[in-house]
Amino acid sequence: MRWQRAVFSNVGFLKMSGSGLWPWLCAACVALSLLMLAALLTLLTIRGLGHFWPAPLEEVTLKSGDIVIGQPVRETTLPKGAGSERLYFTGNQDITGSNWQWITIDDISQQAEPADLIRLTRTPWGDFIGRLMTVESGDQRLTEQAAWTFIHDALALPVKQRPPGTLVLATADGQILRQPLASVTYFQSPNAMSWGQKTIAWGQRIWQFLSEGPRAANTGGGVWPAIFGTVLMVILMSVIVTPFGVLAAIYLNEIAHQNRLTRLVRIGVRNLAGVPSIVYGVFGLGVFVYGVGGSIDSWFFSDELPSPTFGTGGLLWASLTLALLTLPVVIVATEEGLARIPDAQREGAVALGATRLEMLTRVVLPMATPAMLTGMILAVARAAGEVAPLMLVGVAKLAPQMPVDGEFPYLHLERKFMHLGYHLFDTAFHGEDVQAAIPLVFATALLLVLIVLVLNLTAIFLRHYLRRQRGNEC
Amino acid sequence: MKRYNLRRVRKHQLLLLLTGWLLMAGNLAWGQPTSVSGTLGAVGSDTMAGLVLRWGEALSARHPDINLQFQAGGSASAPTALVAGTTRLGPMSRPMTHAERQQFIDRYGYPPLELRVARDALVVVVHRHNPLDTLTLQQVDAIFSTSLACGAPHPIRRWSTLVPATDWPYGQIALHGRNLASGTHGLFQERALCDGEFRLDISEHPGSSAVIAAVGESFNAMGYAGYNHLNPMVRALRLVDESGAAVAPNERSIQQGKYPLSRDLYLYVNLPPSESLPPVEQAFLTLIFSEEGQQIVKAAGFVPLPNQLRDAQRQHP
Amino acid sequence: MTLPRLPFSRQPLRHIQDRLATGLITAGGIGVLLAILAIGVFLVWETLPLLALGDTFSLAKLSPLAWGTLKAALAAMLFATPIALGAAMYSALFMSARLRSRLKPTLELMEAVPGVVIGFIAGLLLAPWVERNLASALMIIIWLPLSAALAGYLWYRTAVHVRQRLPLSWAGLWLIPWLAGMAVLAIWIAPIIEQHWLGGDLRRLLDQRYGLDYATRNALIVGIAMGFAVIPSIYSLAEDALADVPPTLMEGAQALGASRWQALWKVALPTAAPGVFSAVMIGAGRAVGETMIVLMASGNTALFSASPFEGLRSLSASIAIELPEASPGGLTYHLLILAALALFIFTFVVNTLAEIVRQRLRRRYQRLGSSL
Repeated sequence: MRWQRAVFSNVGFLKMSGSGLWPWLCAACVALSLLMLAALLTLLTIRGLGHFWPAPLEEVTLKSGDIVIGQPVRETTLPKGAGSERLYFTGNQDITGSNWQWITIDDISQQAEPADLIRLTRTPWGDFIGRLMTVESGDQRLTEQAAWTFIHDALALPVKQRPPGTLVLATADGQILRQPLASVTYFQSPNAMSWGQKTIAWGQRIWQFLSEGPRAANTGGGVWPAIFGTVLMVILMSVIVTPFGVLAAIYLNEIAHQNRLTRLVRIGVRNLAGVPSIVYGVFGLGVFVYGVGGSIDSWFFSDELPSPTFGTGGLLWASLTLALLTLPVVIVATEEGLARIPDAQREGAVALGATRLEMLTRVVLPMATPAMLTGMILAVARAAGEVAPLMLVGVAKLAPQMPVDGEFPYLHLERKFMHLGYHLFDTAFHGEDVQAAIPLVFATALLLVLIVLVLNLTAIFLRHYLRRQRGNEC
Repeated sequence: MKRYNLRRVRKHQLLLLLTGWLLMAGNLAWGQPTSVSGTLGAVGSDTMAGLVLRWGEALSARHPDINLQFQAGGSASAPTALVAGTTRLGPMSRPMTHAERQQFIDRYGYPPLELRVARDALVVVVHRHNPLDTLTLQQVDAIFSTSLACGAPHPIRRWSTLVPATDWPYGQIALHGRNLASGTHGLFQERALCDGEFRLDISEHPGSSAVIAAVGESFNAMGYAGYNHLNPMVRALRLVDESGAAVAPNERSIQQGKYPLSRDLYLYVNLPPSESLPPVEQAFLTLIFSEEGQQIVKAAGFVPLPNQLRDAQRQHP
Repeated sequence: MTLPRLPFSRQPLRHIQDRLATGLITAGGIGVLLAILAIGVFLVWETLPLLALGDTFSLAKLSPLAWGTLKAALAAMLFATPIALGAAMYSALFMSARLRSRLKPTLELMEAVPGVVIGFIAGLLLAPWVERNLASALMIIIWLPLSAALAGYLWYRTAVHVRQRLPLSWAGLWLIPWLAGMAVLAIWIAPIIEQHWLGGDLRRLLDQRYGLDYATRNALIVGIAMGFAVIPSIYSLAEDALADVPPTLMEGAQALGASRWQALWKVALPTAAPGVFSAVMIGAGRAVGETMIVLMASGNTALFSASPFEGLRSLSASIAIELPEASPGGLTYHLLILAALALFIFTFVVNTLAEIVRQRLRRRYQRLGSSL
């Protein structure tokens, strides 16, 4: 801030009445932080939720006479100030070879949003954008309204029960495509929809995103396995971390003698909260995966070797690593809670004849429960957002086998799992077409941030409640 | 040795295809598909993950009781898993090395069945409005390497050297590529840099689509990535082949192997010489070499096999 | 604590239970502490083979990474420290109590935003935008502090009733739209300035006149993104230190005629300096170890370059992408573990220093509080 000082002292701003301008700069720092946070959250919300809104389809006539049908995605300026261009998502990869088309704005002679444009999702070719001519089902040839109703009724059924049928579709330049009904997964005519219908479709697509598995190698579909994996990993982690964290905190605060050593240990624990998460990942990989996992494999799964069972990253090792990572959080929060309990309470219990165990379980721990809960929630919030260590100890790009299923022993701790944070990283950096993946990445990011924020808010309110309660008692 | 292996492979293919034909004939005779069920395991290439998983989806659509489980651990994980016997299918984005093949033979006494399932290529990409159109492999080496192992006289650092006629793009060429651990990095080093050393100032991205995204947003950037990641933000350059003709990376040139940086994608199958494949694996292979399977190759962004190669592997060699 | 003996019949059992529980807790506690110690031991153990190899060439491979780590951390701290400390000073001493009680949890939420989300936004949105609009981005960085000062200047010039409506104690809130507006203004005006005074293209100018190369993902982007991530932790600790300064000190200074700002600058800040220092240290520790943001926003270029417009590669990012592929026992594996050890030692030293300084400060406050 030295340059600021130079500027201002020259102008003499600082000699203003009252406190001068410095407080304003400080206030601006607060405002700027809040502004950045708000901007980030707004961006995530708009882009994340906006993706599911049925976007209008445009029919663009170029000056050359060509017709393009597509959804406008983004607009950028051309180099050397030669106007700007717009990217259209045109679908029809099977016919044109690409899902996208750039159109220079100056080349457009006419653009419209006809109500009869449709968009449908098929396997394996992804989206089709164009017009529906007829529907052939057996001997019937349905057109117009009858065709629409037929498709909507058919798509509501599972693939097996659908009536046989073929959609006859036409692309922008009039090519005819015959699409069997069985390969269609989604059908929409966004330009003809009313606001109400759009809202319903929007809700449905958000629900699909949350409840379905990924399709077409993570380029479409939902994130349900990633949500499930994240939640399961975090639950396992809190089951592991809470007892140990609480034990360590009780030991430090109630049992160990308060001397130089405890102080040192306390500093150590606090510091571990500052050790980079990736270091925990390295530790998890070296000790849990290669060390412990390798030994388990050579003792119990030697017939499977050299392909590893526990000697590779998996749910168990990921949970253990994150448990270690969040241990300091739980210890610090629990200790804080224990320290807040007045000594009079403990002395009273002991004076009435309680042993130390009774004093702890009947008096101290119940009073410290909210603190422990806070610690646990903070740990969960931290763990849910961590990605770097997981990349080393067991997260997978795509895990078709869920870690919980009907096969004995039902919970498969050695399996790899999907994680929201890693899913985000993977689709953004490893996916097939990053342009197509970005809206899904935004949706995933929004979901992850929401989960973490809700957990943190819970912890904050809990702590607030705890402090108020304590305040009343004292 | 190699030759011998190839012949052995052919023999297995023959057997495989014979059984395949028998099965298909059986199907035709019975007039309806036999119901196949079971779990199909595959371990291998990260690059092929999207492709294998799409095949799996299509397989489940054909035979609802088949469930494909794919573990993407990189091409190197396939031979290990095949030797260990934890999988019978090992997709790899490169051919097995001699050592890997020998390990397999030592364990089982016969070589694995080698199938080519699709074609792929590495592309050199620039921003979509970049006027540059063609590069020779020597130029690629001069741009990306410090060693100049392919024989270029001096390194190329600035756009003015490549596109002297225009003043845009200008400045240094911003280079983008993959990280050290990836197979793409290794293959590019081998094929485009003549096993030379990469420059230090290349941005090493953790994924091919990150490379494409970076190049697509930056007018003075150049990068290399897998063909299946191409999108309209970038343009793939034509490369000059040995005969001196500039070849654009497209379905035709890659399919015919004319594009200099094209490669095959493999599927290795553990199949004893005297046995036929289990029906589940058989169904999978049938799907791969079917019209639908090769359409899926296209949908996943790769290039289908040339017809004669596909037929050769499906039918008689 | 000695327990009185009580004439109860269940007494032996209770005491055995008590002993058992104490033993268990002690074992658990010590076990946890040992596990924590194990991290350091493991890292040292796994790097020992490197000493045996004595391969200085491969060690040299780590030095650009160490440089990149420090460069990224430095960039982040340059962005985060002024903002976080400014915010801490404002909220500890000028802000209304009601706003303050709301602000702290909000900034804690900011800390909770996962690094992978920040990295994604920075790498795939912010970096290309800044590259396309470099002039606007630099303009914002220069113009926003100036516009805050301008807001203050205008505030002193306005009528009293307006000032009462928009008090300084709520400025943290009502300056938000002002700053947003000013940022938009900067974005709008920058191309005009670029056109008239900078020859139409700032990047071409940088390239031609200064030979400066501009990489899309560079230290500037990493600094902003990682700065965003460390602001809350610096803020929170620094604010604690400032708010805990015994109020009698401030009151004394102000009674002697100092303005609020003078009291803060001359009295509160020196008193709380160790706490503020430890806050900055902890922020630096976090910046050094952050992985996903650097991985996604830095370009991972192993360069020795001091230019803020060139890429960098950090130890943590290298570990994250190279270690899963490195075969255990190999040279790369041990090298990457050495990188982890370096991170571990660095953050441990920094954090221990910060913690010791903070404990000193706490004792000083206690002394001050009792003597006054």
